[in-house]
Amino acid sequence: MITFSNVSLIYPQSTQTILEDLSFQIAEGEMVLVMGETGSGKSSLLRLINGLVPHHTGGILAGDISVDGISTRTVKPGSLAHLVGIVGQNPVNGFVTDIVEEELAFSMEALNFPQDVMRKRVEEVLDLLSLSGLRNRSIATLSGGEQQRVAIGAALVMHPKVLVLDEPTSALDPIAAEEVLSVLHRLVHDLSVTVIIAEHRLERVIQFVDRILYIEGNGETSIGPADEILKRSELVPPIVKLARALNLKEIGTSVREVRRQTEDIRNRDFAHVAAKKNVGSVAIEVNRVSHSYSSKKALSNVSTTINQGEIVAIMGRNGAGKSTLLHTIVGLHSPDSGVISVNGVDPTTLKGAARRRSIGYVPQEPSDLLYAASVEEECAQADRDNELAPGTTASLLNRLVPHISQHAHPNDLSEGQRLALVLSIVLSGNPEILVLDEPTRGLDYQAKSVFALALKEFATQFNRPVLLATHDVELVAELTDRVLFLAEGEIVADGSTLDVLLSSPAFAPQVAKIMAPKPWLTVADVVEALGQER
Amino acid sequence: MKTRDIFAFKGASLFALIGASAISILGFIWPFLINEKQGHPQWIFLLAAPFALLLLFTSVSTNKLDSKSIALLAVLSALIAALRPMGTGAVGIEPMWFVLILAARVFGASFGFLLGTISMFLSAILTGGLGPWVAYQSFAAGWIGLGVALIPRGLRGRYEIAALALYGIFAAEFFGIAMDLQFWPWVLGGDTQLSYVAGAAISTNATNFISYHFLSSMAWDIPRAIFTATLVVLTGKPVLHTLRRAHTRAAFMTPIEFIERAKA
Repeated sequence: MITFSNVSLIYPQSTQTILEDLSFQIAEGEMVLVMGETGSGKSSLLRLINGLVPHHTGGILAGDISVDGISTRTVKPGSLAHLVGIVGQNPVNGFVTDIVEEELAFSMEALNFPQDVMRKRVEEVLDLLSLSGLRNRSIATLSGGEQQRVAIGAALVMHPKVLVLDEPTSALDPIAAEEVLSVLHRLVHDLSVTVIIAEHRLERVIQFVDRILYIEGNGETSIGPADEILKRSELVPPIVKLARALNLKEIGTSVREVRRQTEDIRNRDFAHVAAKKNVGSVAIEVNRVSHSYSSKKALSNVSTTINQGEIVAIMGRNGAGKSTLLHTIVGLHSPDSGVISVNGVDPTTLKGAARRRSIGYVPQEPSDLLYAASVEEECAQADRDNELAPGTTASLLNRLVPHISQHAHPNDLSEGQRLALVLSIVLSGNPEILVLDEPTRGLDYQAKSVFALALKEFATQFNRPVLLATHDVELVAELTDRVLFLAEGEIVADGSTLDVLLSSPAFAPQVAKIMAPKPWLTVADVVEALGQER
Repeated sequence: MKTRDIFAFKGASLFALIGASAISILGFIWPFLINEKQGHPQWIFLLAAPFALLLLFTSVSTNKLDSKSIALLAVLSALIAALRPMGTGAVGIEPMWFVLILAARVFGASFGFLLGTISMFLSAILTGGLGPWVAYQSFAAGWIGLGVALIPRGLRGRYEIAALALYGIFAAEFFGIAMDLQFWPWVLGGDTQLSYVAGAAISTNATNFISYHFLSSMAWDIPRAIFTATLVVLTGKPVLHTLRRAHTRAAFMTPIEFIERAKA
């Protein structure tokens, strides 16, 4: 279906080749994962398939790419639209209309399809993606997973033979991600659509894919069956890390496979390690807080306290009230009823420098905090604001993520680099509490571990609390002490990370699923327990 | 091979631009050309500009706009159309001209012309004030976009902002005169000293118009000029930077090369 022969790509005004001498074939009905570090050229590779690169961006393309026998050299991306469907990283950016049905029909309208054909295809897609209940809904009111499904549907109405997706699950909670992936799985198996997806959260996708295309940092590329590639790749999901740590004979890609191999470990007895109790003094106090947007209740009667030095995750489905709770705690709005105090102060009364010193807040879209025209200016501004010696923020940033070009525009940075920039600006204010809203979207494993380290350092070194809302269960397992689980605006579970994550199968990390009923969340936990036994 | 350039009038569309502009200029200045009392020339001229606009849009749309030009045009004209009613239009406070001028500076005169006409047209639809005068407003805005080409290309930094602010003052006054010209023959009854007098000597009408313009609309044009120039000075640097970045990112006229194999 797709053939790359000796493909190399160089962008204009750049001396570095993005891809070098890449040759592979993808058969019809195959599902292929493209993985690699941030900035390794995953997105470029995806866009090469439908000719957006280089027809739209310019560049030098060596070798040849053909899709269903058509070479992308000879045709413009528009002429491949019926053959290749592409779903971008953020589906909201791609929507043209307001209503689900209209969005599905849009591309066919543009190509002047006959009315009856459009009708039929819209119905087909609604059924195929189980969207029929949502057909008249406004897209803005849908949840993330539903929006992603609509975006896939909008690509599918053209009956493409190839579907290309760029990080389809990165903004989704585990349940919604599962939903989207099972739809893709069905497309591959029932309709024999060829699916190519790029994704950082390998733990979510590897069990579904047939082959992996791995773009390494040094420009080397390899393609092969999932377990073969994972055996020697540097980027691996926890399930593979576990297999490596336990020296298992085979690397499994699904929980079931690894469970079978680790039966003896689970059957052994281990001394139960008591969780360390945090006994810091109270930093944030939330007392009977309720908040609603017009008629929709977002928080109802939430009470909790967060101690100094504690790292707390707020989890829950999309729309469960996580962001609202964070907004209330940082004082973006005052709650309808109830009291919040941050170190004894009502956060809504804080202004300017006093605010920067007491609350550090990284919003869901980190670029909302960035105004200057370059990284250098942003760092200098932060130094001035917080009366620090020039270069302090820049050196902090350099420690988090080295080699960021000082002259780059903040919007040109990768997702991970941008987060690091915002985090260093926020940390330069040396805030008393740190609050982050979905901080790990679009981060690869490496960036995530650097990020986790920075947060841990902040919490332990200064004994200050860190609060983060996230869908990333693996991060929560690695990093946090405590989890607040929200549903419909209420706290339904509040306890140590171990207790909360183990009690919910959907939100359990991979290692916990494999090792259940043993109380281990991460590879490190397993290794530690095994080490004590010996 | 290169990626497509940003939209520019050339060949048939350039011809259409000149033709349409000529017709609509007649629509503006006919009171000074005709001193016949017989017939009703004004009705012919009132419809001249809308037809010219139609002709122009048809010519441009068959000339195949590139998808990137369309996207830029759509976003910017939506922005301008939304900004225009924000100042409620009172005493000429329309916070749209600075965007038009700065965008035309970055993306070129042809783009500026299209942006001016389309955004005027769009804002008329948004505010519900659709009528033959919209075509005149559209042309006037288009010419303002086109005229940005008068500023030397190489100018950068403080001088560029100064030149643009100056142009903003000129553009605000130009728009005021143009709208008065279009409006004047219709608005006053035939019996005031400032009215258009059908069949009177051209010089009489010209004097009448100038008095009318100064009396009635300097109250609008001066605030409009000051407001536009101030906005250009205040927002010029960051807005130009943002637009230039968009221009670079859109990769217009970037070479595309297909080679058999990368050099070893």
